[in-house]
Amino acid sequence: MQIEILNLDKHYGAYHALRDVTVQIPKGQFVALVGPSGCGKSTLLRSIAGLETITSGTLKIEGEIVNDLPPRKRDVAMVFQSYALYPHMSVAENMTYSLRIQGVSKADALKRAREVAEVTGLTDLLDRRPRDLSGGQRQRVAMGRAIVREPKAFLFDEPLSNLDAALRVHMRTEVRALHDRLGATSVYVTHDQIEAMTMADHVVVMRQGVIEQQGAPMELYDRPANKFVAGFIGSPAMNFVDGKIGEDGHSVTLALPNTPVIPLSRKAEAGRNVTVGMRPEHLSLDANDGQIEVAIRSVESTGSMAYYTTRTDPELMLVEQGRNRFRTGDTARLRIAPENVQLFDRKTDIAI
Amino acid sequence: MRPVKHTYLWLLAAFVFSVIYLFPLYWMYITAIKSPSEIFASPPTFWPNDPDLSIYPDVWEAREVPRYMWNSLVIAFGATGLTVVFGTGCAYVLARYRNIWVDVGLFLVLMLQVLPASVMVTPLFVGFNQIGLLGWPRTAVVLGVAAKSMPFFVVLVRAAFMTIPRELEEAGLVDGNSRIGAFIWIVLPMARNAILVCALLIFMQAFGEYIYSASIIQDQKLAPASVGLKTFLGPNSKDWNAIMAYSAMYVTPILAIFILLQRRIVAGLTAGALK
Repeated sequence: MQIEILNLDKHYGAYHALRDVTVQIPKGQFVALVGPSGCGKSTLLRSIAGLETITSGTLKIEGEIVNDLPPRKRDVAMVFQSYALYPHMSVAENMTYSLRIQGVSKADALKRAREVAEVTGLTDLLDRRPRDLSGGQRQRVAMGRAIVREPKAFLFDEPLSNLDAALRVHMRTEVRALHDRLGATSVYVTHDQIEAMTMADHVVVMRQGVIEQQGAPMELYDRPANKFVAGFIGSPAMNFVDGKIGEDGHSVTLALPNTPVIPLSRKAEAGRNVTVGMRPEHLSLDANDGQIEVAIRSVESTGSMAYYTTRTDPELMLVEQGRNRFRTGDTARLRIAPENVQLFDRKTDIAI
Repeated sequence: MRPVKHTYLWLLAAFVFSVIYLFPLYWMYITAIKSPSEIFASPPTFWPNDPDLSIYPDVWEAREVPRYMWNSLVIAFGATGLTVVFGTGCAYVLARYRNIWVDVGLFLVLMLQVLPASVMVTPLFVGFNQIGLLGWPRTAVVLGVAAKSMPFFVVLVRAAFMTIPRELEEAGLVDGNSRIGAFIWIVLPMARNAILVCALLIFMQAFGEYIYSASIIQDQKLAPASVGLKTFLGPNSKDWNAIMAYSAMYVTPILAIFILLQRRIVAGLTAGALK
C-alpha cells in the first residue's frame, strides 16, 4: 500500500470533521475523494499532506507512520485549487524550488525542470512570472512543480475548478494520462462527481466527515450503498419515488398516478416502506407501451441526447439517445425497466 | 463642464497647493544664503541679492554638524532596526492567528499609538533611570522610539501579511520548507515592499525625533541633530541664516531619500488597499 489511512478522526474543537475514515491506496492508483462542500474531503487531503494534524488514527505513506511528521518529511506533492504559485519566482524557479531546498544543484534542478516542461508544454514559459500566465498555463505550472519532485504521492485539491468548462474537460484526460505515464499514486479531491467518475480508479464518496461508500466508479453507479450515494453519483441524478413492497415480496407499488406495480427480481420483506431509485436512462417513453401515462413538462435536446421531465409528483427525469420524439405538453406511456430499479429503506436510506 | 477643463482645474489647484506647502521649505533654503540684514528686509526679497554659500561650511564646522548627524543616524538606524525585526514577527503572528487574544493584543497595540510622546516621556525616564539605562542614553532613546513606532509598523505590515494567501505558505511547507523557512523564503519576499516602506517612514520619523532625545540625553556629545538645533536658540539669538543652514543640512538627506523612493512608497502604501 502506498497510502494507508486507518480509522482516522479529526476534531476542530467540538466539530467532528472526519469520523473513522479508512482508505487503502495501492501504488499507482488514482483515488478521487468526492462529496458536497464541507464533507471533509479537503480536510482528509490536507491531513495526508500534513497541513492538518489528526486527532486519532494512523496515517501511513509507503508503510511508514507519518502521523506526527511535518509536511516536508512526507515527500508528497500537492496541487492547490488556487495553484499557489510563488509570485516572486519565475516558472523555472517555481518548478525547481523544492529540489533546491533538498540541495539538488541548480544546474541539475533546471535540467529536471526542462524535462518536465517538455512533458507539460511549458518549455516556452520557463522565464515568465506566474502573473503573466493564463489560468490554464498556471495550472500546468502547478502540475509541473509537483511532477518535478517525483514524490511518493500526488495530492490534488480541486485543481481544475478555476478553469473554463472546455479546458476542464480537456485537462481531465490530460491529468489522468500524466498519472498513468508517471506511474504515480494520486489522491484527487473534487466536488464534481463527473470528474471523480471519469478520472479515478477508486472513488471515495464522503458526507459530513464520513465515508458513505468507496469502490470502483461503476460499482458505485450500479450498486450504491445508500440513497445519498445513489443521488450524488450520476448525472442527471437518479429519480426517487416512494414505494411499498407488495404482499408477495416480489413486487413494489410506486406512489405515482395509477400506482404502477413493478416486478422485482429478488425477494424483499412484504409491506416494507421503501424509496425506489430509477436512473433517468432506465426510464423510457413510448406512444403506447408502458406502465403509466405521463404528461411531459419539459424537453431539452442536445442533439445526441434528449432530456425529459414529467408532470408527475415527484417529477421524473428521463434521458434518451437521439433526437426528442416528444414535445412539451405531449402525453406518453412511461416504461420502467424493472431489472435496474434500486430499493432503499425509507427510514435509514440504506440500500436493500 | 467638459472633462478636459476639469483636468486643468485640478492641475491648477494641485499647483497652487504645492506652492503653499513647499514655500516654507523654499524660504528655509534661501534664508540660509541671505545676509543677516536682508533677512529682515521689508518688503522681503524672494531671491537673495547677494547669495553667500559659505554659511554652509561655516555652520558645518562651528556647530559640529557631523557629530549631531552621526547621533541622529545611530538613533534612527537603531530604532528602525529594532522595530523591523520585532515588528515583522509580531505582525506576522497577528496576521496569521485569529482569536480573542489576538484582538486584545491588536487593541492594546493601537492604544499605544494613541499615547503622545510627551506623556510617555516622564514614565520612561523614571523607568530607564531605575534600570540604569540612562548611562546609555542613546540606547534608551532607541528603545523609546522603537516602542513608539512599533504600533504603526505592526498595523501596516500586518495588513500586508494578510493579503498573502495562506496556500502559498502551505505550498512552501509541502515543497519541503520548515515553518520558519516558508516564512523567510515565501512570505517575507512578498511583503518586502510593505516592510521597506514602513521601515523608511519610521527611519525618517526617528531621524527627526526630538522629545525623547531632549529629555533623556544629557550629554551634548551624544545628542542628535534635532536637539543640536536647540543650541541656536538663546535669549538673543538672531543667527537666522545659520539656523536655516543647519536645518537645510538636516532636512535635505531625508528629502532626497523621500523623493528618490517616493514612487515606491506610494505603491507600497496602496498595494494592500487596491487588491
